[in-house]
Amino acid sequence: MLGPLWLTPIAKDPSSVDLEKVANIIVDQSLQDCVFSKEAGRICYTIIQAESKQVGQSVFRRSLLNRLQQEYKDREELRSRSLQAWICYVTFICNIFDYLRVNNMPMMALVNPVYDCLFRLAQPDSLRKEEEVDCLVLQLHRIGEQLERMNSQRMDELFSLLRDGFLLQEGLSSLSQLLLLEIIEFRAADWKMTDAAQKYYYSEVTD
Amino acid sequence: MSFRQRSPHGGGTSSSPQPPPRWSQGRKRGADGKRRKQNGTDLSVFDENEHRPSDSRLDSFTTPEGPGPLSRCSDWGTAVEEDEMRTSVNKEIARYRRKLLINEFSRERKSSSGSSDSKESTVTVELETDEVVLMRRQKQINYGKNTIAYDRYIKEVPRCHRIPGVHPRTPNKFKKYSRRSWDQQIKLWKVALHSWDPPTEEGCDLQEISPVDLGEMETESIGSNSTESQTSSQDNDDTYSGTPTKVRHVDYQAEGEFDLEACLSEPLKDFNTVS
Repeated sequence: MLGPLWLTPIAKDPSSVDLEKVANIIVDQSLQDCVFSKEAGRICYTIIQAESKQVGQSVFRRSLLNRLQQEYKDREELRSRSLQAWICYVTFICNIFDYLRVNNMPMMALVNPVYDCLFRLAQPDSLRKEEEVDCLVLQLHRIGEQLERMNSQRMDELFSLLRDGFLLQEGLSSLSQLLLLEIIEFRAADWKMTDAAQKYYYSEVTD
Repeated sequence: MSFRQRSPHGGGTSSSPQPPPRWSQGRKRGADGKRRKQNGTDLSVFDENEHRPSDSRLDSFTTPEGPGPLSRCSDWGTAVEEDEMRTSVNKEIARYRRKLLINEFSRERKSSSGSSDSKESTVTVELETDEVVLMRRQKQINYGKNTIAYDRYIKEVPRCHRIPGVHPRTPNKFKKYSRRSWDQQIKLWKVALHSWDPPTEEGCDLQEISPVDLGEMETESIGSNSTESQTSSQDNDDTYSGTPTKVRHVDYQAEGEFDLEACLSEPLKDFNTVS
């Protein structure tokens, strides 16, 4: 199994640990460490599978989701308290949405909350911050296509905001503009990287 | 009982929707049970939009893109669990239908080969397909299966060794039963499962309501056990409220041995090192 070393004893015997506590620790860590929050989805997936197969319960998943929901409710406050923690949170919840499935379907309950977070990132005050724009486009790259399948109307609305942001927003850095343009093109190409886009955005400039 | 307020479907052309003919016409009593005046000046619910009963919220609602009715719960943990149950139930019913079809097919083959005694009729049986009902039944089954007794039962008696009429059998949620009949089946099933309850310890709070001496039951044969528990067990309130008795007891070691926080404070190593 892939994962950090401490995952192994948990996955081997889920009933030997307090899973609610583990869930909380993982969320806490995700809010502090963006690198961790990118991988946390996979870790959670492993634990959920292990608990389901060995104990037949879903204590971990339930605790995880409810804690996630708590943070979601207070997200505005989280953002004012710490921009970095807010970004980590969005990364985390999108990661969870990406990895955790319910009978091979994405979790319906998370669709609107995830959208809400992305909409928040598309607000003028967030667009002025490079780190938030970066977070936004990264998440859209990873889960945009899935999200659109679950609710295309909201995706249309989101991109309306992004287009407006790109064209009209003051205080947008050049990098932010680039990121927004790239994601707009990416979606227009049906969430695929075209050769032309690859060349333009990602290739080394050769003189 | 929630009061469902319908929005009037008017002709579509008028600016304000036309209320349907007053339901109060011809009614002797109003909604509050008091007798009406016959001059018909009492209000129809459609006249005043503010006149909403206090609890007119529907118990469930559907969203356009959703897979089906969502119950009005606001926590993600429960929502996902219900989601999971719904999709599982849908898969199960497909599988059950296939099984019935195959059984019917093989039975028809046998009868066509000459044997004339087919006990069951070949008319297709109507199945329970109402999602709300299926989910409720599944929950009740889950409560019964999420017990130590059930665990011990399936370990002790594999399905191939089960004796019908002696060993408890999970009620089939896809068959059509009345609510009473179903609830009764569940009750009897759970009572029968109590035969496999672990021996109780002294001072344990999860004492069986049944006066049957569990210590003795362990040594007696299974046949007499189940009949005893059925006749002597009292009505468990649990059956209806859904609270499981003797839930699986999950032990966990105190924080001492495994310090997760310390592990997390170390930098995240390369993910693929552990195989």
